[in-house]
Amino acid sequence: MSKAYDAIVVGAGPAGSSAALTMARAGLKVALVERGAFPGEKNMFGGVLHRLPSLEEVFPDFWERAPLERHIVKKGVTFMTGDSSFSTTIEAGNFDRPPYNGYTIFRPRFDRWLAEEAVKAGATLITRATVDELVIRNGRMAGVTILDRKGELSAPVVVAADGVLSFTAKKAGLRQPTFDPGQMAVGVKALIDMPREMIDDRFGLVRDQGFANEFVGCTGGVRGGGFLYTNYDSLSIGLVFHLGSLRTSGKTPYDLLNAFMEQPQVDKMIRGGRLQEYSAHVIPEGGYNMIPELVGDGIIVAGDAAALCNATGLNLEGINLASHSGVLAGRAVVAAHQAGDFSRRGLQAYRQLLDDSYVIKDLKLYRKAPHMLHNDRIYNEYPELVCGMMEYIYRIDGAPKENLSKLFLKTAKEKVGLKNLAADAFSAWRAL
Amino acid sequence: MNIDEIFDYTSFTIDREPHIVLDTQVCVGCDNRGCTNSCPARCYTWSEEEQKMTFVHDGCLECGTCYVVCHRNAFTRWRYPRGGFGVAYRMT
Repeated sequence: MSKAYDAIVVGAGPAGSSAALTMARAGLKVALVERGAFPGEKNMFGGVLHRLPSLEEVFPDFWERAPLERHIVKKGVTFMTGDSSFSTTIEAGNFDRPPYNGYTIFRPRFDRWLAEEAVKAGATLITRATVDELVIRNGRMAGVTILDRKGELSAPVVVAADGVLSFTAKKAGLRQPTFDPGQMAVGVKALIDMPREMIDDRFGLVRDQGFANEFVGCTGGVRGGGFLYTNYDSLSIGLVFHLGSLRTSGKTPYDLLNAFMEQPQVDKMIRGGRLQEYSAHVIPEGGYNMIPELVGDGIIVAGDAAALCNATGLNLEGINLASHSGVLAGRAVVAAHQAGDFSRRGLQAYRQLLDDSYVIKDLKLYRKAPHMLHNDRIYNEYPELVCGMMEYIYRIDGAPKENLSKLFLKTAKEKVGLKNLAADAFSAWRAL
Repeated sequence: MNIDEIFDYTSFTIDREPHIVLDTQVCVGCDNRGCTNSCPARCYTWSEEEQKMTFVHDGCLECGTCYVVCHRNAFTRWRYPRGGFGVAYRMT
């Protein structure tokens, strides 16, 4: 195995395949290297796929061709305690008209399809190949070696799209040698089989309509949240935990997931379903402040590898940012080929393109969100406060009512303290 | 869901050679052992009587949690499995 390419992409996820597609369309000879037996085999997410503006540019009929599940018309947030919940939902007419605002998808299908599009454009997909080392000759990027295979793949430039832990970026010295658990989260998910009609009836959906709900207060006091998304004939249900909080909690992800699924209101939503698959993955949640060096000599970092994830609490974005960064990485490599300069300076256009895009602009805008979410009260006291207040408001039992604002202040004083309430409101206001 | 039955839910092509190797001596001196409760697949178990950490890679979901939570860097090897081995998601 010793082949020469114009560029090597490590990882055939949304970032890698978008980069490979962009470069192959521009006429470059691209190797797209994937450790799974097929692209998407190793990938999991919550998840909702949002709009992909950069891919829509490349193929306008993107949404007709991609293997998607339901489009999201209804979005909800639920504050939850052990036996109560308070939910708000938005269902908008505009969410039910194309271009749709988001879809549920299965990664083993979606990622595979996107990689095949890159192959159709001329990229060479190499599966079952775990990249081992970067090959550097005379101070220049020369290619990569594959674990347990002889020889090397050579190219003057590598796109590191190998996911959140990116050992490729680490070997190039672009990311810190260790991660701060405070900037990372882990998501666990159960895929629950359920007949399509049952999902439609249960969640009030018709045609291809889908529902996406986030939960707070369902993580046993560990910082994090829950989600439930509808696919055509299955539900994705799971929890996300901040690792800094989980590791000192003594609690396990699977016990907490079981408790979540057994909470009376959640139990009713998933009852009658059958567990089909269990999956887990780490998520870079540190936001703008954890973005590593994005460019080195002969190397560009994209997607989760570059920590391009936006978790503000209400919106959870990742694949859209990954795909966008992949396209921009591809464009920067094409420009570097035209100029014949693969040095850090020659590839710096990527940083500029990314800075000018919604990817970095949004991450910058919400850069205080990760810190704001490091607040245990959000996961314990506030859900209890909200559920307790609502229960009081709706309870009619002959007892005279109290003035609501007085009651709110009294309950807030008991549960969180007024100083904390003011501080948290201020911090949320600044972060969002 | 019973985590002990993970092989009924999720598919794996198990490599005989582990992709993660621990220096369990480091774990003996660890004051936290966050890996034991944080790992979503329960690959790490600590025995209080034997004062010993056991790691089994068979049901590893390759999620990265242990790599992040281990603050003693107890790994003599932490890499992804060879191509074609490890967890194989079908529809997640």
